[in-house]
Amino acid sequence: MSLAAPLTSVRPDFLTRVTPAARLAAGMTWLIAAIVTLDPVVPTRLAVAATVALVLWSGLPLRRVPGRLAPLGFAIVSLTVFSILLSGANADRSLAAVAAFGPIRITAPAISAGLAIGLRVVVIGLTTLLVFGPSDPTRMADSLVQQWHIPDRFAYGTLGALRVAPFMADDWTLISASRRLRGIQPRGVAGRIRDAGDRLVVMLVAAIRRAERLALAMDARGFDSGIKRSHFRELRVGWRDWLTIAVAGAVAVGSVALPR
Amino acid sequence: MTLPELGAAGYGAPSHVAPSIEAVGLGWRYAGRPAPALIDLHFKLEPGRVLLVLGPSGSGKSTLARALAGLVPHTLAGDWQGSLRVGDLDVASTPARFLGEKVGLVFQDPDCQLVMARVDDEVAFGLENRGRPAAEMRAAVPDALRQVGLADFGQRSTATLSGGEKQRLAIADVLVSRPSLLVFDEPTANLDPPGMFETLERIAELARLRRHTIVLIEHRLEAALPLADDVLLLDDTGRQLAFAPAGSVGRSDAALLEASGAWVPRTWLGADLPASAGPGRRRMPATGEGQLLLRIADLTVDYPADLSGTRRALEGVSLEVRSGERIAIVGPNGAGKSTLLFVLAGLRRPTSGSVGLRAVVSEGEPAEALRDPSRLPAEEIAGRVGLVFQDPELGFVARTARDEVAATDRAIRSRLRGDDHRPPDSDGVLARFGLGQLAAQDPFRLSQGEQRRLSLAALVLRPPAILLLDEPTFGLDRRGTESVVEMLDELKATGQAQLLATHDPRLLPDCDRVVAMDHGRIVFDGSPDEFLAAPPYSPPDPWRAGVAAVAAGALEAVGAVGAAR
Repeated sequence: MSLAAPLTSVRPDFLTRVTPAARLAAGMTWLIAAIVTLDPVVPTRLAVAATVALVLWSGLPLRRVPGRLAPLGFAIVSLTVFSILLSGANADRSLAAVAAFGPIRITAPAISAGLAIGLRVVVIGLTTLLVFGPSDPTRMADSLVQQWHIPDRFAYGTLGALRVAPFMADDWTLISASRRLRGIQPRGVAGRIRDAGDRLVVMLVAAIRRAERLALAMDARGFDSGIKRSHFRELRVGWRDWLTIAVAGAVAVGSVALPR
Repeated sequence: MTLPELGAAGYGAPSHVAPSIEAVGLGWRYAGRPAPALIDLHFKLEPGRVLLVLGPSGSGKSTLARALAGLVPHTLAGDWQGSLRVGDLDVASTPARFLGEKVGLVFQDPDCQLVMARVDDEVAFGLENRGRPAAEMRAAVPDALRQVGLADFGQRSTATLSGGEKQRLAIADVLVSRPSLLVFDEPTANLDPPGMFETLERIAELARLRRHTIVLIEHRLEAALPLADDVLLLDDTGRQLAFAPAGSVGRSDAALLEASGAWVPRTWLGADLPASAGPGRRRMPATGEGQLLLRIADLTVDYPADLSGTRRALEGVSLEVRSGERIAIVGPNGAGKSTLLFVLAGLRRPTSGSVGLRAVVSEGEPAEALRDPSRLPAEEIAGRVGLVFQDPELGFVARTARDEVAATDRAIRSRLRGDDHRPPDSDGVLARFGLGQLAAQDPFRLSQGEQRRLSLAALVLRPPAILLLDEPTFGLDRRGTESVVEMLDELKATGQAQLLATHDPRLLPDCDRVVAMDHGRIVFDGSPDEFLAAPPYSPPDPWRAGVAAVAAGALEAVGAVGAAR
């Protein structure tokens, strides 16, 4: 979730003034374009477009962006490398090997397919940042409820869960620490799996406790009491929203349709 | 202190006149629980008065708070008896949302009642739920924030607030709907001294304004009694012991109040009540020079660089701990107390400096070398260091209380074969800690106080040489606190060294040493008397004001140091 969490010190810019639902719609077109194609060209074009949008219109503090994307770096590198190594094209003797290490051959189509997969993850990461980065989760929930008519219970319930989520990570650390200090160290694969299961149960019990208390506090303040909710911050759909969706859509179509 | 000007719209004034509260034979049992939470309450609180509810843990105080807000019986399931009226509304037959508009409920744990990421969104949440127009909210939200002294906090993230600020925000959350009845359910139990101080100050101000009927559940009698008009006393089965005007509550009621789990002012307790003076009376003289168990030299810990950059949690900390010593580690939130405990438990590696631990040895045996806790295998670290968390639940490793007590012993035995296979006397330990009846119970189903006792009982069969405790009395009432101190005494008598990270000044007289931290450094290391006489923080640090206020109350309440001087 950290990728989707808002970066601090966002300065107002074009994309921060676009409603979150519109950013989500625009982002979807890119994700669809990145997923339906199998070559590396389309995701490269989208990655370039996403970077341009990030630099020019997102209002995000750019020096923080690499740090935010870092967790994805491992996934990108490992997916790319393994996709190249394990590609079926490498077994095709009719293709010339670009490189060979003993029995391992690497062919040009394998490299292309591997890059396509790695670059897709890059596009997913950058797009997520563009969609979620410029506003906090409350705005996203407000926007989805007001514009897409997502049920309140779902949207604000999820927000409540998001608030509680960071505690779960802390809980996991404490639970694991406590077991070590109590002298409990699982042996063998089965022991480790059982131990992880035990820890998970404790974490879930703690999370449910917390969620129950939060739900009670929400109820005490009239949440989901049958009255139609109003909104403190009313989001208005404007020309920026439509322009964003139109431009993003055009980029998505263009990146797929233009000759490669 | 004066209340800031109310906004033009007059938000903060109740939308209705302050209601009376009338309970007639009120009882409640939660679905699935054998015993009722409340039994046969009869009282009538006149409109606009402040009711202080006193009672030990498990006396149904929170249940009464929930009933006043309609959560019982409308959100939570169970059996309802008798009647409860808030003004002209009958709680059992009024839909929760009508009650909700009239009643504002503030809970104990600030982290489990804030919903939104931003302060102003958080305050608006209750109004949004009630479908109020945006224009009204834009006036009401800043106004409610002003009333709790958070005027400039609207744009802040709720995650960046201190405990006291969060609790004040929770008060703004309910004030914004202009309730006529305010219910505070142990609002300061989870706060550090400055947080407690600022929260009680806000409640006192609301009480003085006389615009609301107020129900306050609080066991710090010295702070709460002066605010109250009436007092309702419950016993540990949820029965009413007394309902009386606060003015009539005095020294002659000390025994009754003590039974209710309240911290009673020391001066009320006659010479015939020496045993009930609270912790502090059991302070043991330090027993000469113990064995050196822990040495920290020039310890520095940096948290890894994240988005906000590297943060230094500890800087140049040096400390030696000997067997049989109890040390309180105090300081504001973020001073480095928890980090220090984590380093000692080997859960975090020092950035520089060294940490060495060793086990206690019997007389004549050669002392062990000091070992780095982060490099010890699990079965060896268990004998050297134990950690009790603020939330004991997270530390439980077994499915019954009996297995919980035996778990460490069992783990160590299974490692060291050839050890004798005599089964440990878990039931004996449980009985000693007052948990004999609960041996077959799931640790998660115990009450907060029982969980805390179990977490200590679990350390008895293989007592660690050094016991680290993170806020061991958080959320406990007087009895719970006393029983924790008693159990710590029992462990300490075996030569155990104990380090308590705590905000609770009442524990200080029970300690041999106080180590105060601020901004990652040790700023004081000396006796509790010296510490309480002059907390080593430079004014205008709110922590100091908080500690001074609490310490003054605590000294009177438990009389520990006061009697010594």
